[in-house]
Amino acid sequence: MKLNHESIEINAGLMIVLIMLAISIGGLVEVVPLYYIEDTVEKVDGVRPYTPLEQRGRDIFIREGCYTCHSQMIRPFRDEDMRYGHYSLAAESQYDHPFQWGSKRTGPDLARVGGKYSNAWHVKHLNNPRSVVPESIMPNYPWLLETELDYSDIAARMRALKAVGVPYSETDDEYQANVEKFGKEVAGMLDINNAERNLIVQAEAGNYDKDPGSVTEMDALIAYLQVLGTMVDFSKYDEGYFAEFR
Amino acid sequence: MFEWLSHMENTKPLALVIFFVTFVGVILYVFSGRKRAERMESYKNIPFLDDEKVALDRAGETADKDQDNG
Amino acid sequence: MAQGAVAAGTQYDYDIVKRFAIMALVWGVLGMMAGTYIASELAFPFLNFDIPQITFGRLRPGHTTMVIFGFGGNALFATSYYVVQRTSQVRLWGGGLASFTFWGWQAALVIGVLGYLNGITDAKEYAEFPWYVDVLITVVWVAYFVVYVQTLRRRSQPHIYVANWFYLTFILATAILHIFRNLAVPVGLFHPESYSLYAGVQDAMVQWWYGHNAVGFFLTAAFLGMMYYFVPKQAGRPIYSYRLSIIHFWALSFMYMWVGGHHLHWTALPDWTSSLAAAFSILLLMPSWGGMINGIMTLSGAWEKLRTDPIMLFLITALSFYGMSTFEGPMMSLKSVNALSHYTDWTIGHVHSGALGWVAMVSFGSFYHLIPRLWETRLWSTRLVYVHFWLATIGIVLYIAAMWVSGIGQGLMLRAFDDYGNLAYTFIESVQFMHWPLVVRALGGVFFVSGILLMCFNVYMTIRTAKQEHAALEARIAAKMAKVGA
Repeated sequence: MKLNHESIEINAGLMIVLIMLAISIGGLVEVVPLYYIEDTVEKVDGVRPYTPLEQRGRDIFIREGCYTCHSQMIRPFRDEDMRYGHYSLAAESQYDHPFQWGSKRTGPDLARVGGKYSNAWHVKHLNNPRSVVPESIMPNYPWLLETELDYSDIAARMRALKAVGVPYSETDDEYQANVEKFGKEVAGMLDINNAERNLIVQAEAGNYDKDPGSVTEMDALIAYLQVLGTMVDFSKYDEGYFAEFR
Repeated sequence: MFEWLSHMENTKPLALVIFFVTFVGVILYVFSGRKRAERMESYKNIPFLDDEKVALDRAGETADKDQDNG
Repeated sequence: MAQGAVAAGTQYDYDIVKRFAIMALVWGVLGMMAGTYIASELAFPFLNFDIPQITFGRLRPGHTTMVIFGFGGNALFATSYYVVQRTSQVRLWGGGLASFTFWGWQAALVIGVLGYLNGITDAKEYAEFPWYVDVLITVVWVAYFVVYVQTLRRRSQPHIYVANWFYLTFILATAILHIFRNLAVPVGLFHPESYSLYAGVQDAMVQWWYGHNAVGFFLTAAFLGMMYYFVPKQAGRPIYSYRLSIIHFWALSFMYMWVGGHHLHWTALPDWTSSLAAAFSILLLMPSWGGMINGIMTLSGAWEKLRTDPIMLFLITALSFYGMSTFEGPMMSLKSVNALSHYTDWTIGHVHSGALGWVAMVSFGSFYHLIPRLWETRLWSTRLVYVHFWLATIGIVLYIAAMWVSGIGQGLMLRAFDDYGNLAYTFIESVQFMHWPLVVRALGGVFFVSGILLMCFNVYMTIRTAKQEHAALEARIAAKMAKVGA
């Protein structure tokens, strides 16, 4: 058989094979090494999976499509450092399924919003953003305060997350491994067997929405917002340390 | 030669050479040779091949229209 | 070459093409209206009305899904089924299976969009469909692939025309992208939510590998396939250079897959990945412009058609916007430019110069060519096509210009320092500044939506006239037959 471009143009099968070849290379070269190159995710202390309440808050963050207006990825620029804080590390989102880096800042970045505002401010702001920031164009979210948090499926959610690689524990061995890795207090929060109780305890202790009687979606969302970007203690690391991983 | 290939950091220039040579090869193949050019360019008339036929068939098309409207 | 002396109506399956074409317009209207509405919400936030289902965050995935997969997807199904039949000169294979792709696709869209409004989403841009819709889409897509390839294999024409190559690469790439982006573990068999298989930085890379190639293959390669058939047909002359199409086809298919990382400049993604992506983004300018030149130069020697034929005007303007946005894209993938443009409305403007200028315009042009042929009649009004063209063009220009102002303006404000080295503006000051550009952008949307509404009216009248004509013809024939019989 004479080999020329017509061989492809008259043979659908050959064309399919060659197209598959042409379109596979780029993705393979760029995605696969990210799993094998050690430096992709920095080695830092403090980053842990979300507690049950925080995870439910994250689910609500996703449900409301917050990522369409808020990024969670601070870039290494002077203005972003001054406005939002230390630039984001890959390690900080290593337990994020899916990632929420975002692509658009109609509102400010949220990667380090944790601890910046009080719980009371968040309640007011989420309920009616213009009551605290008059020029804001964010929608009101009054239903967060009114809706009881559904946490009946929290164990199933944590099991699904465990299946994709988040170190929640179910057996005693897994729990011990977590104690070793994150310390006893955190390991307790990551135990699927106590998920529901942990969630209620955290919501009541935090009392995010100032309504002690019930666990609302507001409680969960604020618990999530308040932990964002607070896990790594940057005072423990040299300025130059993280640059090695870039 | 083989030792050079076995070094990870040499994959980038190697890939560049391979892709570039392939690209130049394709360009040369496609744009060289008058006969090949004529042959290749002849395919661009494919979209017009069924035009005449449609025009000729206009008269006999009423039967199909019945189905379309039915 | 032309074999089989059967009439076009029976030789080709036009019914399925008609259904997809009409649904493309329906989803187009819904999607563009949703887009105009969320644009207005940003300008006037009271429009959220405290109704969860229509808040920006929930309606926005609805907008993108309806325009990309509803309008774009149905337009691609329609035109690919038409083009593969016409250039292979064979009837579409697998009637029932083709019909399944229609109903399956519409079902996926309806379930998906209603889900978003009620907060069921994967939160992965342009892949927000929940897992069960992902499964449905996968099945539909396999059916689409089988129908398409089986039709190609039965072609009565040895050569596969270039438009089909583009449709083929689109079908294959979309399958790969869809499957790998949506790998996830559901919370339960009867639970709508799932968690992505990938986390953090890997999830980000997979996302933009998907996201940018959704643009590259769904919104570019496939619409180039449309261009390679409808531009020559409408111009009445063959494509400018078949050899150029070979080069830019392979270059485009190969290179697009590399460029997704440029969405992640300056992030926690390793630098080499986004730099490599940027390098390929710049190289990609060449095959993109190869396609544009090939399309526009098809008209070389017949430029007067631009004055007399509004459909040609749509197609050539689409190619011009394609050229413009494929120039703007590589520029924005430069790290220094991206530092300013990323996270701002500039990106939104860029996407829409491609989406409205290229994707929508080339679809409008192709549909104005296609619809009369499907219903075997003439377009009801050519003048309305002109009006549509100007409404669309003014809409796009308003949109892009407003987004440049708001995007570049916000980018500059956020990085400005005062004399003492402090930040010159707070974030909310940049939001205030963006108010007027956002109003103008919404207005641009109104123009564009009025254009497509006008088109729907024109198409409706065209189909109605066609049906009346056919009914009259039938009556005449029946009368004649009766006479002969008597």
